[in-house]
Amino acid sequence: MNDVFLPDIACLADVRDETPDTRTFQLLFRDSKKDFHFFPGQFLELSVFGYGEAPFCIASSPSRPEALETTVRHTGLLTDALHKLGEGDEVGIRGPFGNGFDMEAARGKDLLFVAGGIGLPPLRSLIWNVLDERSCFGNVTILYGARTPTDLVYKEELDDWAKRADVEFHVTVDTASPGWTGTVGVVPSLFNKVTFHPESTLAYVCGPPIMIRIVIQDLLARGFKEDSIISTLERMMQCGVGKCNHCAIGHRYVCRDGPVFNYGQIKELVE
Amino acid sequence: MALAIAKENVARWLEKLLQAGEVVAPVRSSCGDVLFSTITSAEQVVWDFPNSLHPPKELLLPQTDPIVRITRRGQHHEVEPIIDRTRRFLFNVRSCDAKGIAFLTRMQEMEPADASYLRRSNNLTVISLACTTPCQLGFCICTDSGPFLRDSYDAQLTDLGESYLVEVASPKGEAAVAEAQSLFRDATEGEVTQRQKLEDAARRHFGEETCHFASAMRRISTCRVPDALWEKMSDWCLECGGCSVVCPTCYCFSVKDLGCDGTWIRCRVRDSCQYSAFTLEASGHNPRAQRKDRMKRRFFHKVSAQYYKRDGAVGCVGCGRCIKVCLGTTHMPAVVAAIRKGKWHE
Amino acid sequence: MLAVPTACPFCSCGCGLYLLAKDGQLVGVAPSETHLISEGRLCARGWAAHEAARWGDRLRQPLLGRNGKQEPACWDEALDYVVTRLKKLLNAGKPVGVLGSARATNEENYLMGRLARAGLRTNNIDFAYRSVCSPILDGIEEVCGRLPPAIRLNDIAATHVILLAEGNLAETHPRVASFVLRALESGAHLITIGYRKTQMTRLASLHLQLRPGNEGVVINGLLAAMFDLDLKERLSTVIGVEAIRRDLDQVERTNEVRQAAEWIASADRAAFLIAPGCGQSDQRDAATTFAELAAISGHLNRSGSGLLPLVARSNAWGAWDMGIAPDRLPGHDLLDGARSRQRVEDLWGKKLPTAEGLSAEALLQSVSGLIVVADDPPSVMPRRQDAMAAMGRIEFLVALDAFVTPTTRVAHAVLPITSFAETDGTFTNMEGRVQKLRAASNPLAEARTGWQVLAELCARFEAGASYSSVSDVLREVGQAAPRYAGIERKLSKDGWGGAMIETIDSTKFALQPSRTTVMEELTSAERPYLLIRDGTFDWGCDPLICYSPTLSRDYRSEQKLFPTGFVEISQGDASSLKLGAGRRAKLSSVHGDAIVPVLVSRDLEPGVLFVPYGFRDHVSSVLGAHGVAAVSVERG
Ligand SMILES: Cc1cc2nc3c(=O)[nH]c(=O)nc-3n(C[C@H](O)[C@H](O)[C@H](O)COP(=O)(O)OP(=O)(O)OC[C@H]3O[C@@H](n4cnc5c(N)ncnc54)[C@H](O)[C@@H]3O)c2cc1C
Ligand code: SF4
Ligand code: SF4
Ligand code: SF4
Ligand code: FES
Repeated sequence: MNDVFLPDIACLADVRDETPDTRTFQLLFRDSKKDFHFFPGQFLELSVFGYGEAPFCIASSPSRPEALETTVRHTGLLTDALHKLGEGDEVGIRGPFGNGFDMEAARGKDLLFVAGGIGLPPLRSLIWNVLDERSCFGNVTILYGARTPTDLVYKEELDDWAKRADVEFHVTVDTASPGWTGTVGVVPSLFNKVTFHPESTLAYVCGPPIMIRIVIQDLLARGFKEDSIISTLERMMQCGVGKCNHCAIGHRYVCRDGPVFNYGQIKELVE
Repeated sequence: MALAIAKENVARWLEKLLQAGEVVAPVRSSCGDVLFSTITSAEQVVWDFPNSLHPPKELLLPQTDPIVRITRRGQHHEVEPIIDRTRRFLFNVRSCDAKGIAFLTRMQEMEPADASYLRRSNNLTVISLACTTPCQLGFCICTDSGPFLRDSYDAQLTDLGESYLVEVASPKGEAAVAEAQSLFRDATEGEVTQRQKLEDAARRHFGEETCHFASAMRRISTCRVPDALWEKMSDWCLECGGCSVVCPTCYCFSVKDLGCDGTWIRCRVRDSCQYSAFTLEASGHNPRAQRKDRMKRRFFHKVSAQYYKRDGAVGCVGCGRCIKVCLGTTHMPAVVAAIRKGKWHE
Repeated sequence: MLAVPTACPFCSCGCGLYLLAKDGQLVGVAPSETHLISEGRLCARGWAAHEAARWGDRLRQPLLGRNGKQEPACWDEALDYVVTRLKKLLNAGKPVGVLGSARATNEENYLMGRLARAGLRTNNIDFAYRSVCSPILDGIEEVCGRLPPAIRLNDIAATHVILLAEGNLAETHPRVASFVLRALESGAHLITIGYRKTQMTRLASLHLQLRPGNEGVVINGLLAAMFDLDLKERLSTVIGVEAIRRDLDQVERTNEVRQAAEWIASADRAAFLIAPGCGQSDQRDAATTFAELAAISGHLNRSGSGLLPLVARSNAWGAWDMGIAPDRLPGHDLLDGARSRQRVEDLWGKKLPTAEGLSAEALLQSVSGLIVVADDPPSVMPRRQDAMAAMGRIEFLVALDAFVTPTTRVAHAVLPITSFAETDGTFTNMEGRVQKLRAASNPLAEARTGWQVLAELCARFEAGASYSSVSDVLREVGQAAPRYAGIERKLSKDGWGGAMIETIDSTKFALQPSRTTVMEELTSAERPYLLIRDGTFDWGCDPLICYSPTLSRDYRSEQKLFPTGFVEISQGDASSLKLGAGRRAKLSSVHGDAIVPVLVSRDLEPGVLFVPYGFRDHVSSVLGAHGVAAVSVERG
């Protein structure tokens, strides 16, 4: 039996600045033969040795297995230590954990992605997976918002999506800065720019709790069924494997039974 | 099949067990408390005590539990699991605690199973002593965890006066007996009947009062306990977390690295859902910011139909420890009663 | 696994617990049902006692400041260096001093006193926490003589009335709060006095709402209402009744206050609990009146009743008793008392310095050489920044501690000593119970036992005596402090639960006439709000707390969420000033101003703003040297 608490060693193959407080880290297992399969929406427990572990979504797509990536915002002790590491430095990885997005259910459907701020990384994994198998899905719409233009992550990829003919992509910021010619306003304000067919669309919503709440209400009002609105929950986590109770809501564990839930499920969770 | 061992032979059995592994048994400290500790000789075992306040779960889920050793060598790090394969006998443990251990083990076996816990529990032989005279505060009868056990033990002893009846329920139990086979004989029919009588008497000890978990469970599971009641009760909790420390079925923990300068021990450390930062997220958002939210959580975990269905039991083995340890007054029986009556302290 | 019975290192309730150790390492805590105070219970801090010592950032070897940084040194070198530097200062006639600690053992504190007085020949000795708790202790002393007739903690559960001058009892002294809850369950009346709603005020039968500045009015009102009742022979133990009665003639007695007085007077057993911080503007007066109230109600000479000053840190009482104060001697006797001087001089074989020393604040400002033991004065003292700045200016600073603290980081010499978990010794809790600490693991790396290092320093300053064990030190304490006479013998007999220090019964209580009976008006039209600094001790700054993974979480997250601190404001004021959550307020007083985020609180009355002790720095420019200030508030 494997020890669920034993991390694998990986080294940072590439570190990219996304925003002043957010970086993307590319991880390479030291054991090159390591089998690592995951679904979009799953997460890792990443160790910075001496500081402990924290959960981070896998931001890269399983359809591009050559680069395992995670995007991390500088918020506290462990993320501070992580941001101080550079290429070649070692970290520990456990996982992948969590249920991930149900790719099968999405096949053939129209897909609407709504992301706010640091909520894009988990969706990015799914988006690339979808785009790499583009023909299996209907319309793809991506709506993304951040506080300011500098807070947008994956700036090059955003341009990429904007250029693609098979993706409808809109981006907005709460507050513009000089040089910003795009939309200004909160994410839900983008809804008026697009048309969707609620009965055949799955909506994926990730971002700060307040944004998620507003977007979900909006989508419900537009006729989305509770089961077709899919989100990820953030919770304080320690073990990632349904043992420590930190992430428990009701009798479910966000780390094991989530972090992906549809709105119908979220509503039923007893705090 | 039941066996019997004469009381005067128990010490010799223990000597054999001591040769086979570590024996953990109730021991009286210099200050008069009974604590489960590793013994070195049979005389240390205390027989005459209600139950220890400190729970024997410490053996399986220590408050500080080293799980991974991390070493830095230059640029590189090595990680290795810290493996505890010691064969242990938990001797003279009470029925509720044996049930508690079984509960924890079921929990840890759930996928993905926790190997470090299971290594310990697989090497642990639980030798319980049935409670012929139930302790004062316990209510194991309501939670189906005593005073006598039908499962969850490897060997169960019953005090028959001159001898102990020994029921063996597992290969681990058989192995423990086999360490000193010659000291055991088959129990007589009379002894088996006597055990039954003792059990009936012990059950009667609890009187007519039946337990009220059912009605509390209905209300907790369907969120029908008024928020105002939680709020009121929560002022009588002093947030010590003692309930989680001593409860045989509580298992909350955190994972932290201990050490410095390139050698660290990653530890599982005891935690409690009653502490306010237990659910605090890095963003500052705290889904259970108020004490009443946390209290609600504790009782949902222990007494909801949702968990009952999953665990096959309520998350309480009726040991009564929280009654003694609660710095406030919000222990299990008090809260269950308040929920049933719909009022607190009136 | 080893289970070592010892006393809790945190608050001064003095709970007993077992430290569990495995392979020489602390791994947990086990409760004790047989311990008199704990009865199997502990608070969150007690349950994490093992974490505090094991997870701490510990000092492992002596460090000497050289070439602008702290470099490891061996013990001989470090001790030589410390002694040489201090002697140089002494020879140059420069002032030196010692700061003891409310978390050091009695033995350590006693030896510090000996080192200062007999070795360094100065009365410059104090402990940082005294600046927080001395006003109320002094206030009580005025009425009761030297010894507040403490009620035993266990007796609180059996009282009928509890009068609580509330700081935040549930947080500062959970074990006392627990006894109060038990009394309430059996029908006792809890009367709280305070300016803030707390868990205890919500449970109270009667809450007397204070406005900072009117403590005098409310407590005097109680006193007056008490005199209105027929007290009969109860007054036989108090002196000065008539004068005070006259003073109280004009005092207003509200119905609530009359009710409270009736409950107190008719109770068989009553507890009077007062927290440092009560009476923000004049704590000493408030404490005096509080003690008088207890005295005339007759409860001070009754068993099962009594007064308890709620000092926070584990051995504050012990440090007090060991004479860690510039004007005191062991036993807390006055420095200028001829008999006590003689006693100590005979014992130490040295003449004692006569000039009164400096208190902690003054000492930090003016000594050239300072020894700080087991404490971080800036985190304890009300004016943190001033203390830190003052320490930075000291010519030679020596720190003895088990943990890395802001003080050890700036010290010129650091001597690593044992924490509570690695040393034997005693603590005296707030009821005067002396209890044993027992070492549960060995000193870390090169650290040495605190009392041994101090004894060695004494010897090097020709103030030595030879001790072969810590019991020898305690035996000597018994000779130096009469109330501790024979304590060593008593402890070895009584063991668990400790032994009470001698109390002197049947004292007369002296009422102090003429006091302010009008509400002190601090506010004005220009500055209509009051800003109060929380008077309760901030556990968050204690290294024992900050290093424990469990205990540090709340405190650290607050620091993280509010890097610039916050003040609490009532809901009413917040809405009239349009200061919603997340907004900043500009506070201005006669001293200065500050801009701080606000937190809207349901626990405050309009007109009052409240700053937690841990965030006091952010408004120090507004508060000046005080705990309360009139301010104007606008959106910042
Ligand atoms: C399923 C899941 C997926 C996630 N995915 C991502 C992701 O893709 N990208 C991402 O950026 N985040 C992600 N997060 C959030 C991420 O886990 C947290 O940001 C991370 O745990 C923060 O760790 P930390 O130790 O730096 O934070 P901390 O805030 O340090 O947390 C540890 C504790 O230390 C205290 N503390 C921290 N810093 C300080 C300080 N400076 N001063 C005082 N006290 C302090 C805090 O109170 C906290 O309790 C995810 C979370 C979950 C649950
Ligand atoms: S909830 Fe209380 S009575 Fe029930 S098992 Fe836990 S400690 Fe024992
Ligand atoms: S033991 Fe009691 S006081 Fe302590 S946290 Fe649990 S319920 Fe609250
Ligand atoms: S109440 Fe005080 S002495 Fe008791 S466990 Fe808590 S901190 Fe320790
Ligand atoms: S993180 Fe431990 S149970 Fe989910």
